[in-house]
Amino acid sequence: MTPILSVRDLSIDYRTRRGPVHAVRDVSFDIAKGETVAIIGESGSGKTTLAVSFIRLSPRSAKITKGQILYTNDKETVDIRTLPDDELRQYRWSECAMVFQAALNSFNPVINIWEQFADTARAHGLKDSKKIHARAQELLDLVHLDPARVLTAYPHELSGGMKQRVLIALSLMLEPQLIILDEPTTALDILTQRSIIDLLGTLRKKLGFSMIFISHDLSIAAELADRMITMYAGTVVERASVTDLFYRPRHPYSVGLLRAVPRVSGAMGAVASIPGSPPDLIRLPPGCTYVPRCPVAIPACSEREPDLLPVDMPDHDARCIRWKTVAEQVGNAEVAVAEKIATA
Amino acid sequence: MTAAALPRAGDRTLPRPVESAIEFLRLLSKRPSGLIGFIGIVFFLSLAFIAPLFVPNQESGDITQLYETPSLQHLLGTDNAGRDVLNQIVQGGKEIISVALITAFLTTLVATVLGSISALVGGRFDAALVAIADILLTVPPLIVLIVISALARPTNFLALALVLSLLGWAGLMRQVRAQVLTLKERDYVEAARSLDLGLIHIVFREILPNMRSYIVIHFVLAMTGAIYAQVALIILGLVPFSGKNWALMLYFAQTQGAFYFNDAFWFVFSPILAIILLQLSLVLFVNALEDIFNPRLRSS
Amino acid sequence: MAATTPADAKIVAQQFPTTPRANRARHILGYWRHPVAQALVKAFLTIFVTTTITFFLIRLMPGNPIDIKIDELTKDGLMTYQEARAQAASLFSIDLDRPVFEQYLSFVGNLAHGNIGYSFISQGTPVMSIVLAVLPWTLFSVGTGLLFSFSIGVFLGLFAAYNRNTKIDHILSLGGSIISAVPNYFIALLIVIVLGVELRWIPITQMRGATSPGMQPGFTPAFIGDVLFHAALPISVFFLATLGHWILGMKSATINALEEDYVNAARARGLSDGRIMTAYVGRNAVLPLVTQLAITAGLAIGGSILIEQYFVYQGVGLRLQAAVTQRDYPVMQGILLMVTLSVVIANLAADLLYSKLDPRIGRAGGATGA
Repeated sequence: MTPILSVRDLSIDYRTRRGPVHAVRDVSFDIAKGETVAIIGESGSGKTTLAVSFIRLSPRSAKITKGQILYTNDKETVDIRTLPDDELRQYRWSECAMVFQAALNSFNPVINIWEQFADTARAHGLKDSKKIHARAQELLDLVHLDPARVLTAYPHELSGGMKQRVLIALSLMLEPQLIILDEPTTALDILTQRSIIDLLGTLRKKLGFSMIFISHDLSIAAELADRMITMYAGTVVERASVTDLFYRPRHPYSVGLLRAVPRVSGAMGAVASIPGSPPDLIRLPPGCTYVPRCPVAIPACSEREPDLLPVDMPDHDARCIRWKTVAEQVGNAEVAVAEKIATA
Repeated sequence: MTAAALPRAGDRTLPRPVESAIEFLRLLSKRPSGLIGFIGIVFFLSLAFIAPLFVPNQESGDITQLYETPSLQHLLGTDNAGRDVLNQIVQGGKEIISVALITAFLTTLVATVLGSISALVGGRFDAALVAIADILLTVPPLIVLIVISALARPTNFLALALVLSLLGWAGLMRQVRAQVLTLKERDYVEAARSLDLGLIHIVFREILPNMRSYIVIHFVLAMTGAIYAQVALIILGLVPFSGKNWALMLYFAQTQGAFYFNDAFWFVFSPILAIILLQLSLVLFVNALEDIFNPRLRSS
Repeated sequence: MAATTPADAKIVAQQFPTTPRANRARHILGYWRHPVAQALVKAFLTIFVTTTITFFLIRLMPGNPIDIKIDELTKDGLMTYQEARAQAASLFSIDLDRPVFEQYLSFVGNLAHGNIGYSFISQGTPVMSIVLAVLPWTLFSVGTGLLFSFSIGVFLGLFAAYNRNTKIDHILSLGGSIISAVPNYFIALLIVIVLGVELRWIPITQMRGATSPGMQPGFTPAFIGDVLFHAALPISVFFLATLGHWILGMKSATINALEEDYVNAARARGLSDGRIMTAYVGRNAVLPLVTQLAITAGLAIGGSILIEQYFVYQGVGLRLQAAVTQRDYPVMQGILLMVTLSVVIANLAADLLYSKLDPRIGRAGGATGA
């Protein structure tokens, strides 16, 4: 089966006064129908830049310098990079819907929620108000909101959690194949986060769409994702299934991320943040970008940046020439790595 | 690390005010209209204050040369009494600009002080001041000024400046107040730990530097407002000035019916042009300032 | 948190998100918070304060008009002091024998009945009728001028922001700056002396006055055409004088609106650029400009004192100028009051319009439930 989205060697630069910022470098991955992929990384790792390019909504200063973004649905494959403008507009939301970070400001403050539903529908050729209304009600029910109350409301009258649900409902309106969520739970309180995560899980099972979500929060990946990609300094450093990454990480950065998550049941003192900070994306070092912060780096690491190397597990790559050392340290156990480190 | 490697405070190539002035001019040169405005301001300031030192004050004119059209002798022609118009232009800017400067200074001072105090004190005092400011903003200013001037008849330019600034402080005061309110909330937690005196101290040390750009911009805008108002008052004859003044030239022109007299065109047009160019320089300069101080509006 | 205008309320609303304490306060101040109530009270207060200050200005300033009038009347020896005093008092509708506060109350009482005194010059003519004869002409010309400048200026500003840093943007922005720098009365004066006298492009003598002599008022096309002919110059001046402000203001507001997250979110939903420009960017950008409508009108009316003089247009500005020259203080006071009243009403209308356009202000607002 062809993957519905196939990203090949994608590189994106930002134009700045000091020079081009290499925000995304040689990113490749696939996502299959019905699959959920989590892209995890810290701020500035390029994950949002990457995601936004999938609907070609990058800011004017951003430029795709190479690569392809191939989107396939049952009928055909297109390269998003070269899609003509009017087809792009149709593609957006009906094939691929992106829900941005901070749903708090995703709505036009001066028109009500119904209008925003109607606008979206009409932009994609649906003209029958009655049908749109029925669909809106159906969708709001799906996300456990009261349509009568929400449709007549203005955005400022809804709480953050409600707005996020409305956005999710809206994103399902045209039954897209792929939904991208950028930090879907970041601005919300813990209880609301829980309900949103549950909602996403249920909807996915029910409707079968593929999801990409972007976060710095590993727990959401653990809950919802099938596969995970960790990004560092604009490039993919590890690609694996969720269980593989949590139990058998092979890149020092992934290990560092896992370690940094405090555990409810873990022993005290086992949490450690990764020392140092990400590199300057304008002047990149010749070798692996993680070297300054890496506990297992050797001189050879600084010579050239490694390719994504397959490791000892199937469908699992890591951009590290020392993955074997990492594997030795972390092992192959069924116990989650974080737990292991905590009890070590 | 040796002491020689560390930069010392006294080690500068140029004194700091000169450095920031150069930096400012550099930023300004990127905005041609602003630069033109700045040059215009410098030109008019020199014209108003420095030029009269060199150009003699003509006492009376040659009555054989009434309303002459511009010639090499009289570059802008002559007026109804044969006096050279260009001379009057050179002499006539000083009062207008002085009044504008004083008014702008008073307005800005009052607005900043009242705005800060109002935001800090809060409560009924604040509500009352805001209400007063609102009322002042609503009432058409020129009409009120005219009524006040008709009653009070300011006789020197200090009095005029005072009257003008009575009405002009409301806008900036509201902005200063809004700014102080946000800072008050932000520093509230920290300030709660320090002494009450500390709060006022912190706020005045934090706000005014942050508001520097606001204040400078508003100062220049207040100048344009003051010029607008005083010119109107003088043309109406409500301010009995003696001496030379661009607006006064227009007052005389009007009372002599010079508006409808073709030959008198340059006599009437010159002060109008001077005032418009002065206002234009101020406005262009202020637009550039807004651009410089507001990073979001900067075209990258 | 005294938020007394929509602009202020917006600042406040952005800075102070809902807390339980604020919610309680909001509930208690429930009725006070309603924008209509606030606007009405503010309007009332403005008029009240203006009338009070006018009263005390007239009465208490040194060289106040009443004393001047008395001096004037007794100068020729034709009247005794008592008679002069009585006449002056009746002209101002003030009883000078009673204590100041009672005078004030009767002044206010008279006001409520529409009695704002009698003219000094045209003896016995009520000021109210004088003002009402001229005020509509000014309001008409200012209103029409502003209507045109706002609609065209907003459109041009939006256009400039969307075509930022292109030649057309530079022209519009520079043009806007230049015309906003010229004092509005100078625009009028320049039209007269340059276009009228010097170049003779415009028949200014014919266009004098609010109507042509001998024209019968009525809803006839001839009359309306005549009115428009005479009002064309003042309207043009008000149009030009305020156009720059709207262009620059809308450009800046649009630039800010374009950076908002919801614009990008709308694009991600596949909305057309046209729809986004009107309903998402335009409608949000124009809001702060609506709050400035009344203030701009007030400034324009101020300039009418000279503008109407130059065009000899019989509006309130010309009448005020005549009153000032003639030292007709009751008329001056009356004009000040009525113009303020007009601007206050305009302000109220603008505030109400704003609360209709911005749902965050129009309702009691606030987040409810999760």
